[in-house]
Amino acid sequence: MPELWELSAEETARRVRSREISAVEVAEAALARTAAVEPLIAAYLAVYDERARERAAEIDRRIAAGEDVGPLAGVPVALKDNLNVTGFAATCGSRILRGYLAPYTATAVARLLTAGAVILGRANMDEFAMGSSCENSAFQATHNPWDLAAVPGGSSGGPAAAVAAGSVPLGIGSDTGGSIRQPAALCGVVGLKPTYGRVSRYGLIAFASSTDQIGPLTRTVRDAALGLQVMAGADPEDSTCSAQPVDDYLGRIEEGIQGLKVGVIREIDSAGLPPAGRENLRRSLDLLARAGAEVVEVSVASLPAAIAIYYVVATSEASANLARFDGIRYGRRAPGAASLADLYFASRSEGFGAEVKRRIMLGTFALSSGYYDAYYGRARAVLERMREELDTAFRAADLLVTPTAPGAAFRLGEKVDDPLAMYLNDIYTTPASLTGLPAVAVPSGADERGLPLSLQLMARPFGERTLLAAARAFEREVGWQVAPRLTTLSAAAADA
Amino acid sequence: MALTTDEVRKIAILARLRLTPEEEARFTGQLGKIVDYIDQLRQYEPAVQSGGSGTAGPPAEPGHDAEDRVRPCLPREEFLTNAPAALDGFLVVPEVKGSEDA
Repeated sequence: MPELWELSAEETARRVRSREISAVEVAEAALARTAAVEPLIAAYLAVYDERARERAAEIDRRIAAGEDVGPLAGVPVALKDNLNVTGFAATCGSRILRGYLAPYTATAVARLLTAGAVILGRANMDEFAMGSSCENSAFQATHNPWDLAAVPGGSSGGPAAAVAAGSVPLGIGSDTGGSIRQPAALCGVVGLKPTYGRVSRYGLIAFASSTDQIGPLTRTVRDAALGLQVMAGADPEDSTCSAQPVDDYLGRIEEGIQGLKVGVIREIDSAGLPPAGRENLRRSLDLLARAGAEVVEVSVASLPAAIAIYYVVATSEASANLARFDGIRYGRRAPGAASLADLYFASRSEGFGAEVKRRIMLGTFALSSGYYDAYYGRARAVLERMREELDTAFRAADLLVTPTAPGAAFRLGEKVDDPLAMYLNDIYTTPASLTGLPAVAVPSGADERGLPLSLQLMARPFGERTLLAAARAFEREVGWQVAPRLTTLSAAAADA
Repeated sequence: MALTTDEVRKIAILARLRLTPEEEARFTGQLGKIVDYIDQLRQYEPAVQSGGSGTAGPPAEPGHDAEDRVRPCLPREEFLTNAPAALDGFLVVPEVKGSEDA
């Protein structure tokens, strides 16, 4: 019989609603598990023990009173540190927001709470979601539960590590160029970036507004569907949030991929895929075929340009979005400034870390007079080309597949001094971000060291129902053991 | 194209960042390498239809503007609880003087 912390979000809520177990028992189990693994992985910036217990007790009282508390009844969640929740801190992993207390709640989080979720903690991230290893957090490095010397990926490395280690069944991240999918891949969990506009970003601290999306990180595809179901849908507070009706993602998730065409992108190799990744992809395609899909080849000739486009478009938007952090209205203010201009310069220079400075500078450069056409204009033009190529590819295929990342988790410190090498981790995730497509990362096996590898599936805009059904079919074929190393991890914790 | 230290200094001023000499040297090298990488975009043909005149992001849905009416918003007192310095319901800032390029 599995421990309570091993249960999926779906099963946890089912048992809590049927009063087989109490929300308080679930919260205690999650807190105990978190206390055991957190000294090893450092996934959280804050764990809210008391608030979680109080909230769980409230859920139990409401259930006892006959109330339907929702599909996430008693489910502990880890929130990425860039989501506003009234009365909670949100620092974006940055010194510049130290001390900030959110005065309002993000729509996605409000919906999780309405569905009965319990906030367990605030999880670590690369500063302002800029990074692929979580090492750009101003506060701490998070360790990969599969190999404590390896990075968890980023920027949602905290939620990914927390979910993988069994602290919570549901993590909430944000994805701008792969920040949900890449850490999900490196930590051996499922990570879903919904279609642009499927989930409201109201209350998400902005990085690049044309691609930012909120999404779930979970140990099962069904839980990802459940998380999306709860968060998706129109929001008057976010004009970029779509009014399209929300599908029933769980209802038909077991229907399989019989007869669907899965397109493998021909240019994957030229984008630099190492042999282990190629072998894993080949095996994944075999599994998809065995599940009844027809594998076809498609071309997206601009795929190798994805990183170049992304690091112009996203940094340009970031340079504008992060202008608001100036020491005036909230966050860190440098002491002793002689003038207003001095205050801006000093507060920003002290408050931002190196990667954030680099990206603000890169974006400022790309938008600056004399370089705008050659950089921002050019990147937008090639992006439109990529959009056309993807449109064409989706005429030949219902889904597109790539590896989620070129390889498994790399060592802590391995890429910190080479920003470009770090950026190249996002080569397969950035196209869906730039073009707004939904995409999901699903564990696809392990490399020779036993570290997780991952397959990315992409669908047409608002095609999450098909996407998740395919991901579920693939998950079934892979037969991935979601928790093998957690046992080892517990043993390591006991030894420590 | 590689970036010069002077260019990096100019960008830092536009970005309202003050770099240490060590940061200046490091960023000049790193940003130069990244910009060189980005220059590969010259090899790609722009989009066939739009010619790349798009402004931003995925295609927007039409008719999505917010209703034009006054609604309650965050009360001033709540907003100011996060302010580094406030007085009598206003934000306090240093004197607005001196060079913009401080």
